[in-house]
Amino acid sequence: MNAASDSEARIEALLADPAYADHPLREPLAQLYRQFQEQIRHLDRITRISDRYQNAAQREASSLTERLNKHLKQVEKIARISDRYQSMLQDLNKRLEHESTHDTLTGLPNRRLGLSRLSALIAADQPLSIALVDVDHFKRVNDAFGHEAGDQALTAVARALRDPLGGTEMVARWGGEEFLLIWPQTDLASAIEHAQALRSAVPAQMPSIDGRILRTTVSFGLAQRRDGESVNQLLRRADAALYAAKDAGRDRVMVAK
Amino acid sequence: MTDLKIAGSTSTPTIQCTAQPSRVHMKGDSYPENAFDLFQPVLQWMEAQLASADTLTMDLELVYLNTSSVRIMMDLFDTLEEAHKDGRKVIVNWYYDARNERVAELAEEFKEDLTLPFHILPQG
Repeated sequence: MNAASDSEARIEALLADPAYADHPLREPLAQLYRQFQEQIRHLDRITRISDRYQNAAQREASSLTERLNKHLKQVEKIARISDRYQSMLQDLNKRLEHESTHDTLTGLPNRRLGLSRLSALIAADQPLSIALVDVDHFKRVNDAFGHEAGDQALTAVARALRDPLGGTEMVARWGGEEFLLIWPQTDLASAIEHAQALRSAVPAQMPSIDGRILRTTVSFGLAQRRDGESVNQLLRRADAALYAAKDAGRDRVMVAK
Repeated sequence: MTDLKIAGSTSTPTIQCTAQPSRVHMKGDSYPENAFDLFQPVLQWMEAQLASADTLTMDLELVYLNTSSVRIMMDLFDTLEEAHKDGRKVIVNWYYDARNERVAELAEEFKEDLTLPFHILPQG
């Protein structure tokens, strides 16, 4: 028992004691005591109501937090899925871009990309040499072994031309059995050397079909860009050199005039 | 229930909602300017259909979805999930081109957190 309820018990006992029934302080004390008890009840009530308000506010806050967390989770999920869709589109774009600039059979840059590279180098006025390369008697391969063998031969030539190339050099599939080689920053003497090395490497790379090795060779028409020469002029000279190589018996490198 | 048919375009899917059989079918890409306008009738149709029907199958052949379409799809799935928890027989079948595995991965992302039957099925 604490002091407060001690004194309450004492006052209640004094008020109930008949010995003090006529004491002049009894009535005012009884009144004061009733008021005191009323105050205590008020205080209890206020405390209870206040507690309930506090609980309700807390519940509301936690339900808000819960809803906010749910929304955050949803937004994160939307963002995550959306990001993945975007990266899917980006990859698709890259694939389409690659497909539109590369040859499906050989994997080499196609005519469009080869021409655009050559045009860019010439627009920047870079010194360079090029070669148009043609597979000798390609029609005979097709006729004797079939188109599939022809495709294999083209793939083998493409590999033989591409694999030895350095970083800035390029070989593109120019047409049916024709390729374009670009050597930036390369003079005629070095280009001839490169071309001879590639030409002599081709036959060893050829596949065998039904036990018969394809004896395929290639001819080169080589040209070094002259000052002020346009893309078309340069290509025409390389093409003329290629014809000259064919006329001279094939499997050789001819330099443009 | 009347059927709901929305013709597709390059940026919106073809949408067909039929009462008999109880089915929602969406096919194509979805990157409309306002996905809410496009899908709101679908959501309303689904809610009305589920008010009377015990089953609903959603067949999806969606490829690309923009952000607002992703959000709406989650709302559609939430509606189905509620019906599922309510004891209705709802099923989602998400078909994808077997050559594009990434669509399946994205369908998996949608499926996460859902308890209704959600099948991701390769085609071709």
